[in-house]
Amino acid sequence: MAKEILVHLQDVTKTYIMGEVSVEALKATSLDILAGEVLVILGPSGSGKSTLLNLIGGMDRLTSGELFFRQQALHSASNSELTQYRRDHIGFVFQFYNLISDLTSYENVELAASLVDDPLSSAEVLEQVGLQERLDHFPAQLSGGEQQRISIARAIVKRPLILLCDEPTGALDYQTGKTILELLLEVNLRHGSTVVIVTHNAAIGAIGDRVIRMSSGRIAEIQINASRATPEGIEW
Amino acid sequence: MKVLYRKLRRGIWSNRGQFFAMALVITIGISLYVAMSNTFSNLGYAQESFYNDNNFADHYFHVVHAPEAVAKQIASIPGVEKVTARIQQDVAVIKADGTRASARLTSYPLPLAEQVNSVALKQGRLFEAYPANGGAEALVDPSYLQANGLNLGENVEIIAEGRQIPLTVVGTAIGPEFVYAIKDLSSMVPDPKTFGIFMIPLNQAQEAFNLPGQINQILVVFTPGADTEAIISHIQDLLSPYGNLASYPRKDQLSHSLLDAELTSGRIMARFFPIIFLAIAAGIQIVLLRRMVRMQRLQIGIMKGLGFSNAAVLFHYSSYALAVCMIGALCGSVLGLLFSQSLNQLYATYFNLPNVEGYHYQVITYSFLLAAAVGMVAGLSGSAPIVNINPAESMRSQPPSKSAHNILERLPSLWQSLSPLWKMSFRSVARNRMRTLVTVGGVVAAVSLLLISFFMNDAIDYMMKQYYQKEMLYDYMVRFDQPVRSSELLAISRMDGVNQVEAFIEIPVKIHYNGRTVEDAVNGQAEGNRLKTPFDSEGNPMAIPEQGIILGEITARKLGAEPGDLITVETTLNRGEPIITELTVVSINRQLLGSVCYTSLAQANRLLHEADVVSGCMLLVDPGHSSTIEAQLSDITGINSIASRQKEIDNITSLLDSSMLFVGIMIFFSLILGLAIIYNSIVMSYNERKKELASLLTMGFTHTEVSGLMLKDTLIQAVPGLIIGLPTGRWLAVVYISSVSTDMFTFPVIISPVSYVLSLLVGLGFVLAGYWLATRGLSSLDMIEMSKYVD
Ligand SMILES: Nc1ncnc2c1ncn2[C@@H]1O[C@H](COP(=O)(O)OP(=O)(O)OP(=O)(O)O)[C@@H](O)[C@H]1O
Ligand SMILES: [Mg+2]
Repeated sequence: MAKEILVHLQDVTKTYIMGEVSVEALKATSLDILAGEVLVILGPSGSGKSTLLNLIGGMDRLTSGELFFRQQALHSASNSELTQYRRDHIGFVFQFYNLISDLTSYENVELAASLVDDPLSSAEVLEQVGLQERLDHFPAQLSGGEQQRISIARAIVKRPLILLCDEPTGALDYQTGKTILELLLEVNLRHGSTVVIVTHNAAIGAIGDRVIRMSSGRIAEIQINASRATPEGIEW
Repeated sequence: MKVLYRKLRRGIWSNRGQFFAMALVITIGISLYVAMSNTFSNLGYAQESFYNDNNFADHYFHVVHAPEAVAKQIASIPGVEKVTARIQQDVAVIKADGTRASARLTSYPLPLAEQVNSVALKQGRLFEAYPANGGAEALVDPSYLQANGLNLGENVEIIAEGRQIPLTVVGTAIGPEFVYAIKDLSSMVPDPKTFGIFMIPLNQAQEAFNLPGQINQILVVFTPGADTEAIISHIQDLLSPYGNLASYPRKDQLSHSLLDAELTSGRIMARFFPIIFLAIAAGIQIVLLRRMVRMQRLQIGIMKGLGFSNAAVLFHYSSYALAVCMIGALCGSVLGLLFSQSLNQLYATYFNLPNVEGYHYQVITYSFLLAAAVGMVAGLSGSAPIVNINPAESMRSQPPSKSAHNILERLPSLWQSLSPLWKMSFRSVARNRMRTLVTVGGVVAAVSLLLISFFMNDAIDYMMKQYYQKEMLYDYMVRFDQPVRSSELLAISRMDGVNQVEAFIEIPVKIHYNGRTVEDAVNGQAEGNRLKTPFDSEGNPMAIPEQGIILGEITARKLGAEPGDLITVETTLNRGEPIITELTVVSINRQLLGSVCYTSLAQANRLLHEADVVSGCMLLVDPGHSSTIEAQLSDITGINSIASRQKEIDNITSLLDSSMLFVGIMIFFSLILGLAIIYNSIVMSYNERKKELASLLTMGFTHTEVSGLMLKDTLIQAVPGLIIGLPTGRWLAVVYISSVSTDMFTFPVIISPVSYVLSLLVGLGFVLAGYWLATRGLSSLDMIEMSKYVD
């Protein structure tokens, strides 16, 4: 059975203009993102990975081309439509967690949960990321790995269709990085969310259903993995 | 160091909104300081030099009349430096248009220059004792000349001993005892149209009052360090055969005491207002610098690593505060001197003082020192954490700000009912304790200043209402030269358009109780009078007792007398022997200005051993007839003065415009203070939380929700500030009033509900305006930028 196409990009370009200079961060890119898949985006620094992810997440506007979420034309959506799109369907996980320092773990998750009508239970989500013991801690009282788990819990509590992760292991040590990847795969399995992981670490490609390699603003190659490796099984 | 200087400039530029707001608050603080200090220095210097140049008296003695030669006797007492004996008497004046005014006719032995309470010539020339073409010459005070459109060389007509006497005006002059030229405390403000100071040679006064070789006042200047009490009682002994009417020191002299009260209250304000503004500015600076130091931890570590000493880095960051303060001092001084000019002019209309002008470089110097001190203190305490920054440690990335549970969480049911956004705001406000304190304090200060400003407005309102709608309801008050039979009032009551005539008598007295003596006047009101009413301290009208006396509050306090006490009243009319009577104090009344003791007309008559005399009457008239009635009254020579309530109101109202301007300026300044504090607080919290706010946007919160978060922060601090500000403002008003209250002047702190509401509304206004100013840039929050960086 063919998987549903959640996001469709058609000849999308993104050009940053800074005074005299303009940078073509993304050049005529077409891509489909499928429901329930794990997609890994690889590429060297400056190749346009984050740019692509941010466009998919409705955080930025494209310069030309078309971008659809199901039938909804995001390229011509208003700001508030984009906000609504992020609110309803997207979960973000960043390299530097970006938790709210004035809220406890539990409250950080509750904050996201308050955005949607039918969220998961915050306590259960926190249990799922293994932090049921840390509900009452503030971000400053948690390790980096723990903060990243909270940020994953915060992203998934809204039941997003798509989880967008930009360098989720970038600031973490080797072992902690692996457990975070495991967590992301588990989210994919348990909730069926599409997971998009941006990384410059080629080894991580093995855990995805598909791997996109980017170079200088283009998709250089799309690789389809017959089977996904477990994070335990990969080395870098 | 050049590099550091450039960094300083850039740092100020990139926080220009906040530095501008602070510079503005400092500018206001310094300008208030400069304006008031400069003006009150001017006023103080002018007072001192004017007093010195004109030998302002240390003590006054009033007698019925005494031979001139008594001055020589007094002059020979050791410790007496100067003595002047003169005649001074209030007289009726008939103006060119036939209407009445009154004048304080004051005479001077010649040569004038060496006399106690000599005068300074402003225009024309001094009078001569015996003018070549006969007649008498006079100097008048410049305000009277101007207000009545008189020219030098014209005559003024006075009534003395029932005769109309023309005086030729040869010049204008001012004297140290007439700086604040009001007839008595009931007039509140000068009314130069109807009250003037006429100065003539002593011999002319003796002739006019038919007192050859006699005087009725002795003015004394003591040598410094003299035993004044002993000298005063010695002089009183000397004067006792001549009828000691009154004896009072300089501090009880009417003009002096009012000028002094103005100076005292001015000096208090000159400290009080600037301190509030400067303290708040210092608070903001400390918070701002602490934030800068925290944000620039890495840079500071690098600077230290490069070899800059602690002191150099500390000085660098302190210089932000210092620079802002210096800019504020500069702008504030210029602005303050401009304000001072108009304040000088304002005082010149109230006070007849020469040379209330000029700029005092000390004030400017002080203002810069003050600003520098504020800058240094704020700068050093704001950047003190620099000392603890370790170059190596600073390179490591900083963990998220440490938050903590706060007091509200002790009430779990309340806390749980809050949305996460409210929780964020409460925690952020609780975490930034210093900033919150400064913000709440700033709002409290701004709101209490607002309330005080509105209170000043209320005070004027209250005074006008109390005076002109409650205490005195007559259209005219007529006073005779001396007590007359009550039948004399018949002529007045028969005039066309006179609807009501109520008789009264005023008797100057000394009141003795328990070894203490106070000079006062007893006001005897005929039975059934309702045009003048005493009020108790609660503001309730009081009935006049048939027997006994209602003491004025100030007199009662001076005597230590209370209701039920038996006091001794001694009449001090300037003719006849003093008569002594014992009276029971029935109750105590409160006057805004001065003191009046009330009794019945019958009782007052008994004080004089009379049965049926009055000294004046109050009239209600048809408005259409008022000018003809005034003209008819003016024709009666026995009438000393005719006071029109409407004209008094008009006169006061015209002078109040300038006070309204002051109130307006204070409201404006309070607004700016509030705006600056709210703006700074929001911008600081916004800058600190930019990243978190951006992450809210990525999660799908709308811009409105995110700026709503800033509004929550603001309200959590502003609402308590607004609420605390009201009682604080009231308290400050009480402190202010009690610090400026004098023997003659006291004021109830009555603030109208409208003022509270207005203060709250204006307060809410600056909160929302500050919020709007600070969050205008919020839509430029860049989610993508923010998601990339660590602190
Ligand atoms: N806001 C911006 N303004 C201007 N240029 C930008 C902006 N954001 C990205 N770029 C440029 O666009 C190009 C792609 O950037 P992008 O952040 O997508 O790279 P990346 O693949 O995520 O790199 P990295 O692995 O370093 O995160 C880069 O050349 C970058 O300099
Ligand atoms: Mg990137």
